[in-house]
Amino acid sequence: MLIFSVFKTLTDQQVTVELKNDLSITGTLKSVDQFLNIRLDNIKVSDEARHPHMIAVKNCFIRGSVVRYVQLPADHVDTQLLEDATRRGDNSTKAIVLTLTIKNRNAETLKFHYG
Amino acid sequence: MFFGFEQKDLEKGKQAFRTDATHDTEEVPVFTWGDESYDGLGDALQEGGDELNDETFGSVGLVGKDFDFSNTTLPKSSGLPNEQALPPQKFAEPASSDTLYALRRKQDFTTLDSDQPFSSSSQSAESIWDNRSLLSSLPQLDGIFNQSKQAFAEAPVSELPMPQTQKWAPQSSNSGIRTLEEIEAEMRAAAHQSRVQQRELSLQQQLQQEEDRRQQTLHEQELQRQILHQQEQQHQLYLQRLLQQREQQYQRSTPPRMLPASQSPRFLEQQRQLLLLQQQQRAQELQEQLMLEEMERQLLARAALQQQHRQSPIPPSHHRPPSLTPDVYGYQRRQTRSQSPMNNDHRYPGIPQESSPFPSPQNIQLQQRLLSEMAQAEFIRNIQNQDGQGINPVEQEALRAEAMRKILEAEKMEEKRRRKAAKIAYMSRYNDLMTQSDKDFITRIQVSQLVTQDPYADDFYAQVYGAILRSRMGLQSQDERVLIFGSGGGVGLGLNGPKGGGRRPSAMQRMEQQVERIVNNTRKREEEKGVHALQSLQGALGKTSGRSYKAAPRQLLQVDPASGASPAISQAQAFKDPGDRVSNGAEEAAKLGRATLGKAADTTNLIRREPLTQRETLTILEHLYDLVLHVEQLRRDHSLAQDEQQTVEWQQQYDTLVDEIWDSLRVMVPLETSDPHPFISLLIPGKGKRLLPRITRHLSDQKMMTLLTLLVACFSQLDVIKQASVIDYSQDTLERAEAERQTQAFLGNAFQCILPVVAKASLRLVTGLLGLLLDRSNIIMVAQTRPGLALLTLFLSRVELIKADMVNVPEEFEVPTPEEAQQWQLVYDHFFQLLGPHFPMLFPSARMATATDGQVSFDIIDQPAWHFFAALGLHAVPEQQHVLITALREKILDNVTSANKGWVRNDEERQLKLDNVNLLLHVLNLDSSLIVL
Repeated sequence: MLIFSVFKTLTDQQVTVELKNDLSITGTLKSVDQFLNIRLDNIKVSDEARHPHMIAVKNCFIRGSVVRYVQLPADHVDTQLLEDATRRGDNSTKAIVLTLTIKNRNAETLKFHYG
Repeated sequence: MFFGFEQKDLEKGKQAFRTDATHDTEEVPVFTWGDESYDGLGDALQEGGDELNDETFGSVGLVGKDFDFSNTTLPKSSGLPNEQALPPQKFAEPASSDTLYALRRKQDFTTLDSDQPFSSSSQSAESIWDNRSLLSSLPQLDGIFNQSKQAFAEAPVSELPMPQTQKWAPQSSNSGIRTLEEIEAEMRAAAHQSRVQQRELSLQQQLQQEEDRRQQTLHEQELQRQILHQQEQQHQLYLQRLLQQREQQYQRSTPPRMLPASQSPRFLEQQRQLLLLQQQQRAQELQEQLMLEEMERQLLARAALQQQHRQSPIPPSHHRPPSLTPDVYGYQRRQTRSQSPMNNDHRYPGIPQESSPFPSPQNIQLQQRLLSEMAQAEFIRNIQNQDGQGINPVEQEALRAEAMRKILEAEKMEEKRRRKAAKIAYMSRYNDLMTQSDKDFITRIQVSQLVTQDPYADDFYAQVYGAILRSRMGLQSQDERVLIFGSGGGVGLGLNGPKGGGRRPSAMQRMEQQVERIVNNTRKREEEKGVHALQSLQGALGKTSGRSYKAAPRQLLQVDPASGASPAISQAQAFKDPGDRVSNGAEEAAKLGRATLGKAADTTNLIRREPLTQRETLTILEHLYDLVLHVEQLRRDHSLAQDEQQTVEWQQQYDTLVDEIWDSLRVMVPLETSDPHPFISLLIPGKGKRLLPRITRHLSDQKMMTLLTLLVACFSQLDVIKQASVIDYSQDTLERAEAERQTQAFLGNAFQCILPVVAKASLRLVTGLLGLLLDRSNIIMVAQTRPGLALLTLFLSRVELIKADMVNVPEEFEVPTPEEAQQWQLVYDHFFQLLGPHFPMLFPSARMATATDGQVSFDIIDQPAWHFFAALGLHAVPEQQHVLITALREKILDNVTSANKGWVRNDEERQLKLDNVNLLLHVLNLDSSLIVL
């Protein structure tokens, strides 16, 4: 629920979603659900020459399971709070390693052991 | 061509015509026998055997008139004995130039007569010249022949053999046998000459053309007839051959007697006749059809013409009546062929070609070409007329291209629009497939999945982030961001709360109820399922081994924090075990607390230990974070405590947690336990530095004093002091960047939390802290770091403030005793003495200049040093001030000189240089402007 919670605060922000098929889509985050399915508006594919079929696409719904990374806008992420939030996670047996690439912050990659 | 009449000189006219006639040999056959110019070749001809001509060429009476090109030799009126028309082929015509001349004239006048009533007298006189029009002459053909025969019989020449005729002919030409009517006609013609001359010319042309055409037609018809005959013969041959073949086949394949009746020769003969009959019938039918088609064609041609008048863009050359397929031409040809033999008799008497219902294909094509050309010309003329002034072809072409382009564009747009509409229509098939209640239902199911027991905790990030954001924006709205349901569950609504703000509260309530019901049902079902599965289904399908059925991936890191199996962990466990920590820490804390306050160091009861490892440090820090979060949560929940009882409970809980944090910080661990001290070890990682302010918020002043003392005592153990020299290298390395980042983190977090403590510290404490620092640290090294310089500046500033307060508001302040002041002065003197020789090196720029030759703008990074010297100068006695000035003289002069002489990049830098210098000089009651270079 943590990342879901984080994404809730990022609605209407610019994010870049990297998919497992190496497609990288930048767009305005419209909504996220508990499966981390993502809806984006005004999308733009980073390498349009390689994916000409995406030029005409203006918005999209991304199934959560196909997402590899999500690049978040650093200005809109409270890293300290995010660290705290990860520490608050319930002690379930699941150990989820979340990799968040936060742009513009010294290319810092935070790895959270969730749970 | 017709110039005989101008002079009325007949001889001349004759002469002229004679010369003219020679040119017209193609049109009118000219026979020169008997003339003076006759070359006599005719005599050389072996003429004879004409007796059988009749048998050879057919009967005399009915000879076609295809040789009659001029149509002038035909006698018109009956009862004229001296008619000159001669039966053809039997006799060579003794035509003279005169006769020819007359013939031509006659021709002309006949046409004239037909056009206008020439004169009643001429008609009544039944002159041979009059009423010569083609149409009038035609029906009398049969009679003519009879008359001409009679006339011929009367004429003397008719009996003569040919050689004689030759001799006779010149006589007749010289004698000029002419009738009165002839002369009269000539005179009349002369009288009307001026009136008709123009007309005549055109008529002459017309006539000639007509003649030409007729000749052509006749020729063609002749040809066709020949071809037809040939083909008919071929056809007959073919039929015969076919029949023979069939007969042969039957004879070959079957015995003759086996032939059916239909195959008998007599039957075949009958069949052939029948076939011929049918052919004829069909020919007639086709003829009728062709006539109809011809009419249709003309109509269509006219229609097409009209169409072309209306700017038809179709190229005229391709324009053809739609019903007239190319096959029609072949069909027509066939038709003509098949019917021509039967129509020969009716056709040949000079029917004008235009009225013929059977035009040859060439003529059709010609006609169409002419029509299309006319239409094109008309079209162009129309365009020109429309535009008033004539448009040149280029503009016209451009116009047409433009029009074409526009049409294409419009078509494209239309196509696009249609495609779009089709797509929308295609997609809109699913419009309103779901009603609003359907959508609500799905939304509720989705919401029910988000319901948790602790909505706040599960939506922690969003909740806190929202709170921080709101507080930062100054919003105090405390509307609930969490949707709490009656059964304890709830949904975190995130940052923006419910989106559908316009919804009525009742609708919201209804949704809550429905969601709750769904959640409860689900829960119940799961419970039932769980019970059911446990009781009856477990192991029903055999034993499931391992974890293969689990969807979760195998854990790669299998660290069990509960078991202390490895020795490394067990060591860490010693620190981590709460019970152990509390019992030992409490005693040590009590002991060290007193010692720290009283004395800087207490070495009694010391247990030396290895410094904390990185892993231990991080583990402790994580534990501290958990505690801090817990405490923060408690603080947040403080408002929820309503009565005394709860408040007390809360306070107890809070105190316990804070104590635990304090112990975990290991501030009370003896100073010499390890190097670095465990507390200092916790400050080495970035997150330790960042954690300190969040902890100190909950610590009492007393504890903060202790913490500050420990920090100062172990100041040189800090990584930011140890590795400060890395920053002095101007190269950009990862190491340097990391040191820089850590320094920033220390100054921004850890240092900030000791500021309020120092700000409240007494002179005695500050003196003690400075003494402690001097005692336990290499003050020269510490002073050459940014945190060290900042700390020293902080102390000096605090003392200066205390001094100022002593003067200004002594009654409000705990006035330091003279011993304390003296103690401070002692420590200060010692400090000044220690640092004195290294004053210039306190400037980062100086250190960096020695390390490298990099020319960076040092004024900003030197500023803390100038601040420090200013603070130092405040406490300095005049001698110390002198020392200070002397030590910094070069630096001060350097700054002032470069500022005054303009060795700076901009005014800002110049001002900065002067400001830095003035920071110190003002303290010493000096100013940079006083310095005279």
